[in-house]
Amino acid sequence: MNREGAETYLRLLGESELREPLAPEVRQPWSGARSGGMARMMAVATALTAVGAVDTEAAEDILADFDLAVSVRRTGRPQPGQGAWPAGRPGPARLAAGRTLVRGVLRAWPARSTPGAARPPGGAQVPGGAQVPGGAQGAGGAQGAGGAGGGGDVAAGGGERSAGREQAGGAGGAAAGGERFVSVGVTVPFGHGELYLISFAHTRSGARFTVVWRMRDPYSPPRPGHARMPPVDEFSAIDDRGGRYRFQFAGRDNPEWTGRLSLHPEPPDDIRWIDICVPGGGETRVSLDPAAPGGAVAVVREVTVSPGEHLLSLLAVRLLTIAPEFPHDLRLQLAAVSPGPLSNAAAGLGDVIAALEAADVLSPLSPLPGRLAALCAGLRVSGHGITAPPARDLPEPWLSMLAHYQRRRPDDSSARDGSAPMAVDLPELDGVRLTLLALGNSEGSTMMSVLATGLGPDTGRGSSGADMHFPLSIWVRDNGGRWHATRPSGWNLADGEYAITLHMVPPLARSTSWIDVLAAGRTAEARVRLPLDWGYSP
Amino acid sequence: MPCGGGRHPVRWEAGSLLLPEHPDVEGELVLAALGGEKAGCVELAEAWQRHGADLSVLAIGPRHAADEIAVSWDDVVTTWPGSAGQPGRGGPAQHGPMRRPAAMPASMAALSARRQQMQQEHERAQRRTNDMLSLLALGYGFQARLGGQVAAAYAAEQADERTRPALVAAISGRLAPVVEDWIGLDPGQVVVSLHTGPGWGSVEMTGRGEERRLRVALPTGWLARVWACGLALTGRHLVVAVQRAGWPDARVLALRAPGAEPVELDVHGATGPGDATRWEA
Repeated sequence: MNREGAETYLRLLGESELREPLAPEVRQPWSGARSGGMARMMAVATALTAVGAVDTEAAEDILADFDLAVSVRRTGRPQPGQGAWPAGRPGPARLAAGRTLVRGVLRAWPARSTPGAARPPGGAQVPGGAQVPGGAQGAGGAQGAGGAGGGGDVAAGGGERSAGREQAGGAGGAAAGGERFVSVGVTVPFGHGELYLISFAHTRSGARFTVVWRMRDPYSPPRPGHARMPPVDEFSAIDDRGGRYRFQFAGRDNPEWTGRLSLHPEPPDDIRWIDICVPGGGETRVSLDPAAPGGAVAVVREVTVSPGEHLLSLLAVRLLTIAPEFPHDLRLQLAAVSPGPLSNAAAGLGDVIAALEAADVLSPLSPLPGRLAALCAGLRVSGHGITAPPARDLPEPWLSMLAHYQRRRPDDSSARDGSAPMAVDLPELDGVRLTLLALGNSEGSTMMSVLATGLGPDTGRGSSGADMHFPLSIWVRDNGGRWHATRPSGWNLADGEYAITLHMVPPLARSTSWIDVLAAGRTAEARVRLPLDWGYSP
Repeated sequence: MPCGGGRHPVRWEAGSLLLPEHPDVEGELVLAALGGEKAGCVELAEAWQRHGADLSVLAIGPRHAADEIAVSWDDVVTTWPGSAGQPGRGGPAQHGPMRRPAAMPASMAALSARRQQMQQEHERAQRRTNDMLSLLALGYGFQARLGGQVAAAYAAEQADERTRPALVAAISGRLAPVVEDWIGLDPGQVVVSLHTGPGWGSVEMTGRGEERRLRVALPTGWLARVWACGLALTGRHLVVAVQRAGWPDARVLALRAPGAEPVELDVHGATGPGDATRWEA
C-alpha cells in the first residue's frame, strides 16, 4: 500500500479543484451533500480512509483546509446592501465551523481480527465454517443446489415446526461466546391483536425478540396518550425455572409496529422455554432450547480481492440499490433541480479509481473500472469520470439487477407483507461477525434485520448517506435465480453490537421459498441457504 | 489592522514581522497573562508565530498574486470568540443548574464528558480558523512571505512521508500556473516531485499528445527562495534557484525552455500593487 501516494493524490486533487472557477456551493436537496469540488474531495477521502490508505485524521485535516481555502475564495465581492458577506459566500459561523464539519465522517474499515481465512462462528451447536461438499438437503425440503451464483458449495438445514399454541422455535443454536440465536416464528394472540415473534437473540447487550405487532382494532375505551401503541407493559413472561420478566419495546410504526422486544431482567443463558403472558390471561410457550438441532450451515470460501476492488464492488452495489428508486424518467424531470442521489453516488468515481491506483490498492489491470463504466452506462448515469472503456462482461448479480431495473415496469407487487425468521450466525469476515435475524416485507419493501459486531465505534452513515463504513457486501439469490442487493438503511448501536436494517433491492416475493445469502469481504465469502417460512402475514 | 479602537500598521521586514505601535511586546504579554486585555496586533503576531511552520498555510494561502482571497478585518472580528453572540473566552455556555458528576448515572457522565470534548475541539477549530483568517486579512504580500517562512522551516531538513505530500502539493499548486504562463502547458500536465541532494533539480518534457507531461523536480527551498519572492517567472524564464540573494538586485538560475541548460540572470525587483514583488531580468 502506498500511503504517501494516496495522500499526495488527495492533496493534488485539491490543487486541481482550486484552479477551477469556484461556483457558489449548492447543497443537494436529497441528501444535503455538497456539490462540486468538495464532493469529489469527500468521495476520494472517504474511499482512501475506508481502505486504510490515508489516516482518518490526516484526511479530515486535508478536507478542512480545502474547505477553508475554497470558502475564502468564493465570489467575494459584496454588493450594495449585502454587508461583508455576499450571496454564495459562507457566513462567519460557517467558516469558523469548517474544520468540525468533516469530523467523524470518515472511517476506516475494521482491521481483521485474524489475518488470513475467515473464522467460523464458535459454539458446538453450529458447525459453521466448514466447506461441505455437494448440496446437502435440509429437513425443510430445500434443494441443495451447488454453485449458486458461480462457484462454492451450499449446505442447507432447517428446523421443524409443530402446529398449535405451544409452538416450537425453529432452527437456531449457540454461537460464539455463549450467545444464542433462535429462529422462533411464533404468533402470540391477545385481545386486541397479535404479537409475532420472529427470532430470539441473546447477546452481551441482552435478550430480545425481533417482533411485529399487529393491533387489530382501536382500544375501547381509548387509552389516553397511547392510541395505537402496543400494550407492552401489560405483557410479562415466565421461564422454565420460574423466573419472571417484563418487556421493553423499541421499534417503529410503519405501518405495523416492528422492532425489538427486550426481556428484563436479563435471563440466564440456558433457559429452555419461556411463556409469554398476555393481557387478560393466556400464555403462549416459546421454545428456546439451545440444544435444538442446528440450523443452516454457512460455507466459507477464501477469496483474494484487493481493497480497491472490494471498495469498487461496494460502490457498484450502492448504485444498483439506489437506481430503482430513481428511474431515468424521474431523473430527467428533476435534473433542473438537482442531479439527484444516483448522480451524486456516481460523481467522482473516476477520481476514486485513480486515487486507489495511486495508493497501490487497485491494479491498473483490474477489470472493475471497466465494469463500473458499463454499469453506469446501463443505468444511464453520466458524469462519473471513469476513463476505462465499458466492459463487455458483468457479474451475474449485476446483470440480474440491471435486468430488473431496465424492465419497463419493474414488478414489486408480489412483495406482499410478511415476516420470516432466520437466526443464522455467519462466520467472521474481515473482522465483522454477522447474525441474520429476520426478513420482513412491508409496503412493497424487503428488509433484513442483522446483528453485527466488530465494526468500529460510531460507525454510521458516510458523507453522502453512503454505507461505505459497512465493509461487507450482502447479496441474496432467490429460488427463482434472481439476485437481490442489500444496503444498510438503519443503524442502532448498543454495547458494541450494531442492529442493522438492510434494505433489499428488488424486494423478495412472498412466494420465495428459499434464498442463498452471500456475504463477501476482502478475504473470504460465506454462503448459506435458508428456507423461508413466511409464517406471519397480516 | 484594527487594534485598540484604531488601526495600527504591521510591517514585514528582512524576514520578521514588526509591530511599530507596540515596541514592548513582551511587556504586553506579561500584562495580558495577569488579566489584562491583549492587543489585536499582539494576537496577530502570536498567530504568525503559531503558524510559522504550519503546512496548512500553504494549503489555504494564495498560489499567485491573482489568486484573490477576499478576507477583510471585518470578517476576522466577526468570527473571533466573544463577538456577535459567540461564546466568550470564559468557557462554554451553561444551561440550567449544574449537577455534580457523582450524581449522574455513568451513561450521563460519559455523555457529558463527550460533549465537553466536542466543545473543546470546536473551540480549538474555531481559534485555528480565526488565526488563518487574520493572517489572510493581511493581504497577498504578507501571505506570500508567511508561505515562504513555512517552506523555509521545512527546507532545512529532509522531507519524510508525513510532509512530502503537502510539500509536493504546495509546489505543484504554485508551479503549474507559472508553467502555463511560461510555455502554455495545461496545469494538469505538470508533474512535480521533491528534489533532494545537490543541484537545483530537473525539468523534463516527456510523452506526446495526451500523455505529454512536464516532469519537474524541485527542492522545498524553491518555495521560500523563488516563489515567495515573486521570482518564479522572470524575463520569460522559469527561475529554478537563487544564486545571490539581495534587494533590489539578485542573481538567479533560470530556464528559457524545458530541457535547456539553466542560465544565470541578473534581476532587479520593485514592489507592485498589493505588496507583490515584480522582477525584471
